[in-house]
Amino acid sequence: MSAFAFFFSSLPQKVLMKLRKPKITASIWSSGKIICTGATSEEEAKYGARRLARCLQKLGFKVKFTDFKVVNVLAVCSMPFQIHLIEFTKSNRPIASYEPELHPAATYRIKSLRATVQIFSTGSITVTGPNVQQVATAVEQIYPLLFECRKIPR
Amino acid sequence: MSSRQCKNCGCADIDVDQARGDAVCMGCGSVLEDNIIVSEVQFVETGGGGSAAVGQFVSADGSAKAISLGTGFHAGMERVSRAQTLQNGRRQINHLGHQLQLNQHCLDTAFNFFKMAVSKRLTRGRKSLHVVAACLYMVCRTEGTPHMLLDLSDLLQVNVYVLGRTFLVLARELCINAPAIDPCLYIPRFAHLLEFGEKNHEVSMTALRLLQRMKRDWMHTGRRPSGLCGAALLVAARMHEFRRTVKEVIGVVKVCEATLRKRLTEFEETPTSQLTIDEFMKVDLEQECDPPSFTAGQRKLKMQEIEQQLAKKIDEVQGEICCYQDEIENELENSRPKGRGMYASYSKDDSQDDAKSMTQSQFGEEDLEDEELEEAADHLNKVLYSDGLPRPPEKGEDEPVPPRHPSLASLLGPLPTAASLGLSESIKECIDMKRDDDVTSENGDLDLNGIDDDEIERYLLNDKEVQIKTELWMRQNADYLQEQKEKEARIAKEKELGIYKEVKPRKPSKKREPICANTAGEAIEKMLEQKRISTKINYDVLRDLDMKGSSPARQPEEPQNSPGAARRPSARRRLTDSSPRLASAVGIMGKRLRPLISTQPSKKLAIDQAALSGSPAEPSDQSQPVLVESGPVVYEEVAAEEDEEEEEPCVSAMALMGDSEYGCEVDYDDGF
Repeated sequence: MSAFAFFFSSLPQKVLMKLRKPKITASIWSSGKIICTGATSEEEAKYGARRLARCLQKLGFKVKFTDFKVVNVLAVCSMPFQIHLIEFTKSNRPIASYEPELHPAATYRIKSLRATVQIFSTGSITVTGPNVQQVATAVEQIYPLLFECRKIPR
Repeated sequence: MSSRQCKNCGCADIDVDQARGDAVCMGCGSVLEDNIIVSEVQFVETGGGGSAAVGQFVSADGSAKAISLGTGFHAGMERVSRAQTLQNGRRQINHLGHQLQLNQHCLDTAFNFFKMAVSKRLTRGRKSLHVVAACLYMVCRTEGTPHMLLDLSDLLQVNVYVLGRTFLVLARELCINAPAIDPCLYIPRFAHLLEFGEKNHEVSMTALRLLQRMKRDWMHTGRRPSGLCGAALLVAARMHEFRRTVKEVIGVVKVCEATLRKRLTEFEETPTSQLTIDEFMKVDLEQECDPPSFTAGQRKLKMQEIEQQLAKKIDEVQGEICCYQDEIENELENSRPKGRGMYASYSKDDSQDDAKSMTQSQFGEEDLEDEELEEAADHLNKVLYSDGLPRPPEKGEDEPVPPRHPSLASLLGPLPTAASLGLSESIKECIDMKRDDDVTSENGDLDLNGIDDDEIERYLLNDKEVQIKTELWMRQNADYLQEQKEKEARIAKEKELGIYKEVKPRKPSKKREPICANTAGEAIEKMLEQKRISTKINYDVLRDLDMKGSSPARQPEEPQNSPGAARRPSARRRLTDSSPRLASAVGIMGKRLRPLISTQPSKKLAIDQAALSGSPAEPSDQSQPVLVESGPVVYEEVAAEEDEEEEEPCVSAMALMGDSEYGCEVDYDDGF
């Protein structure tokens, strides 16, 4: 129930540690920095990080829990319509970019929020941003743009 | 020319000769300017007797052979480097372009892109080859040539995504909006490669139609255009009775077999596939399809919905079963003989406890207060019932009532306190939690709230497990450990031999603060402090230059200086080169103190002291002209020593005088 796995990746000097209860993966660097990914909410991330710190404490390391900061939030959402990517790219020229040879989605970067939205033709989008609030705002911002280029379902 | 005054005689009549590039004063004849840059066209006589203009054509960016304008001209140096970068870029563009069979116009456009990129510093930190490839690809896109990014990456043996990244950055920075790739562009190229012979054109047309159909059916968004082309060409070939296998098509189109098959199946699902060949050529179906990934998604959704419905049904069925169960139980109970009061109360007790435990589990760990309350309630109940037990309820309710009162009182006595304690504790905990949160943000200590230590204890391996794990890891990473050992051995060896060079990361060069000073003299002082001073400087002259009008004590020197002036053009020239440093030395030395000139290299200290002292000016002045003639060597020494002087505090004049005089005389004697 409480199984973990340790992975040592020798090239970047870090150790991966996975917890099950808040389901997170943490990369632990030799400098003491820990990057914790995979939690489903900001609270959970903090909780998981604390548990990890507690674990390290028990192993005998001197632990200081400072500067906990949420750095990146990834959200997935799906529109009820499909999107015409080429039209979308044309109408949002420099901000949106679409390279079908490289990636099937069109990327739209919102500079003011520092968020990136990846739009797929099926209507699902993934949003990455610095915190949950900004991600939500990004979705709100991009919805009208997507609505214009939707493919009218029959 | 603006009328200036001659520095020597003050006359304003200056003759500027454009041809020779001189500015000469008409009054005293001193040359004020030399080597003025002239802008004239000169002609030379060529071999055949004609005349040609002297000079070269230079383009604005200096891309042609850069002219070296003399040492130290910084802009010139930068131009040379820039020219080289552009030259390199041009060469690479031409090389790649010829391999791709691009025409000259495209290559020129690519070179223009490259120039823009260089001027925007986009080539910094990137391999120039990548940038060149990105420029070429940009041209391909804007011109609409059938070149894929894959082709470029094949040529360069670079990962296509790396090139793609560079290309995207370039396109964004240069604000070049490349039009979207149309798979139709690739058809002629691939058709040619598939060698359809005479029917090439027909097959291409068919393939084009197919592609357009695919576009309408939303198969092309988000897909590599080459994959679609491959599918279209395959079908077109078959339609015209050419046998082209999947493998051949893959070789040309550069996608993998799975992709091609997938595209074919997708196309199969569209209604167009149902048409015969003739019908297809003539009729164009109006209906549009959904993109295949969308339909796949829809299918998934449907599956999920079905599962949900099934689950619901199962629940319902279960619910029904439960109902039946309950009814059966009730029936059984009713039919069962009812127990006596004791047992009844026990059974009731249990059921109530069960109910409470259920509710407890529902609330979970968070509601501590509720838990406590419920525990208290349980306790109450149990006590009540236990009290009630010895008295059989047969007696009736009257009897239980009186004994209940005292029991209640006894119960209520301890209970509220416990409850109150419990409540207050939980309240305290809440408050503490909040405080702890604040504390952790300040201290960095770990907030242990909500962390189950026991669970974490379980995570840690015990000794035996640790051993096993270590062994496993060692075996897995044996190669890496080996490498590390070898590296360390190598470093140790090199250290012994003294060859070891530590590869330090480059520290950014320390930027010196710009010197802010009020006067030139001050600036020179400061600069001298910062920089190390050269020994080839005639400090005395520098001093004189700087401090001419300032100290009256120096006036007797001046007349001495002026006859010496003629002898010192060489010294002065050297001075002008390093005048700032001299002036600084002078300035620091002291506007009050008599500047002294050096004597001999051997008696350095003496010289220093001599320089500092004021009164021995005369003997030193007398020796001045002699020293001047002796040459720069002396002055060099002075310069070096004067640097040391700056740091030394003032020495007593008497001591200085005494020593210096002695030193001077001796040297003087030695010298002559």
